[in-house]
Amino acid sequence: MLSIPANRLFCIALLLLVVPAAATGAPVTRTLSTAEPGAGEVFTVSLSIDGVALGAVVETLPPGYTFVGTDHPEDRVLVRGQQAGFAVMNDTRITYSVRAPVSGSGAAITGTWEDFLSGAEGVVAADGIETVAMSAGERPASQEAAPPFAVLAAIAALLIAGWGGRR
Amino acid sequence: MKPIPILALALLLVLAVPASASTGGGIVGDADGDGVLTSAEYASATLAYLDAAYMGGTGVLDRTDIQDAAWVYTYWDGRPLTITDSSGKTMTLYRPLRRVVTFSGESLETLRSLGFDMEKVVAVDKYSHEKKTFFPECQGKANVGSVWSPDMERVLSVRPDAVFLYATISVSACDDIQKRLEASSPNIRVFRFDCFKPATYAGEIRTIASMIGRKDRGEEFASFYESTMDRIRDGTAGVPDGEKTRVYFEYWYDYTTVSAGSGYNEKIGLAGGVNPFSVGTTEYPTVDPEAILLADPEVVVKLAGQGLAVGGYAGHDPEALGAIRSTLIERPGWSSISAVKDGRVYVIHSDILGGAQHFIGTAYLAKWFYPDRFADLDPHAIHQRYLTEFQGIDFDLASKGTFVYP
Repeated sequence: MLSIPANRLFCIALLLLVVPAAATGAPVTRTLSTAEPGAGEVFTVSLSIDGVALGAVVETLPPGYTFVGTDHPEDRVLVRGQQAGFAVMNDTRITYSVRAPVSGSGAAITGTWEDFLSGAEGVVAADGIETVAMSAGERPASQEAAPPFAVLAAIAALLIAGWGGRR
Repeated sequence: MKPIPILALALLLVLAVPASASTGGGIVGDADGDGVLTSAEYASATLAYLDAAYMGGTGVLDRTDIQDAAWVYTYWDGRPLTITDSSGKTMTLYRPLRRVVTFSGESLETLRSLGFDMEKVVAVDKYSHEKKTFFPECQGKANVGSVWSPDMERVLSVRPDAVFLYATISVSACDDIQKRLEASSPNIRVFRFDCFKPATYAGEIRTIASMIGRKDRGEEFASFYESTMDRIRDGTAGVPDGEKTRVYFEYWYDYTTVSAGSGYNEKIGLAGGVNPFSVGTTEYPTVDPEAILLADPEVVVKLAGQGLAVGGYAGHDPEALGAIRSTLIERPGWSSISAVKDGRVYVIHSDILGGAQHFIGTAYLAKWFYPDRFADLDPHAIHQRYLTEFQGIDFDLASKGTFVYP
């Protein structure tokens, strides 16, 4: 049986895992081809875009990761250091590839998007296990309400964590 | 995947969007200055913005710039828009309207009909400000007074980039405001539209719709407006002059009528009526009570709504309009008038006859003048559709407002 602190930690981890991954409705969502790239491995990042006709996405890679290339038109991509900017022009998907560092890993890719016509902006939502690495503060501000299951799971996790802490 | 020549591209982008492109006359991002923002130029501008905003670059495009470029690229096909307003002035627009001041309630109402983002209206005239029921979203906006008594300090304080004034009424007052605005800031675009005249309203709808990037909505609204006005014109087209309905139209004030040159007289004519007092030197002449008896009108229409006191959007008060009608009927000698004998005395509120909603009031006039010809015309339904579909306000005519009686 888990100890009380371990129990609480597990529940919080569950909360961080379930809520971001289950949340839907963000205009821009990121998916990785692999959750745990090997040293020096090149993996693919897909940005799914919904409802942003003219806008932009700026992705920031963790230190040590390098931008390799993209299928996005050359004249709509700008890469500087750890950042890659993409001009969105009625695109529904942008794919780019990244090389993992030879050593060290664990940080997450982060990104922001802007919709130039509506004036809306937000954080790129992460899909998949990569979201676990995000702290609560890094969760996409633009994400809409999570589905009922995710909300219930989150509440349950919080209650269990709180209950465990009082024992 | 293709590798990106990062440094070369970044340098090219910075060079491709000159500083001059972000300000003054010209479309943001039109790097070659040929008056067309191409797809490549727009993309280049976007990257220049990202470079400056996110990557520590030294570009000159800010968020407003790139949003304007995106807007022009989307709604004006990347080209400047040249329009001619109702004063006959031709202007070329390079950026969308972001901060609008309206001195005309009719223009304000038309903007709302066209689905303009009302958040972008930063100040309105005092009369629109007073219409709490009809313009609830304007209560929190700055009040810039009227064209006759404008609060210019307040106008400038809200930093407008567009101001709407009347075109053909209160001309000298509007000219004065325009001069003062243009002297204060050459970047303020002044538009002159009436938005209440049957002869020009459909064209104004389409022009304003183009200006705000709502051409489809403009066509939809103009078609709705024209369908009503055309129905009225078609319905009265075959009536010989000698058989047209004789109408006494009384303005807000007792024994004050309307004559040629007034908007109300034009609407009487459109609805197929003949105004025996249309020949006059003033728009709103006073008539001799005896002359009304001698004219023996077949229909009497009394205008209500002075000072927002009774009916209209301000309140559901059919009794008040009924009392106005009773007062008319009880006037000395009026029992001998055909209109009274035949029960064809009506009261109409100026809210639906004098401004942008004139087509609704004109439909009522046509129906009152020629009930057989317009048996299928339903002004009430037209009114409700206008409020619900185009104005987008929650106003059920079955329980709110009073516009005609009976």
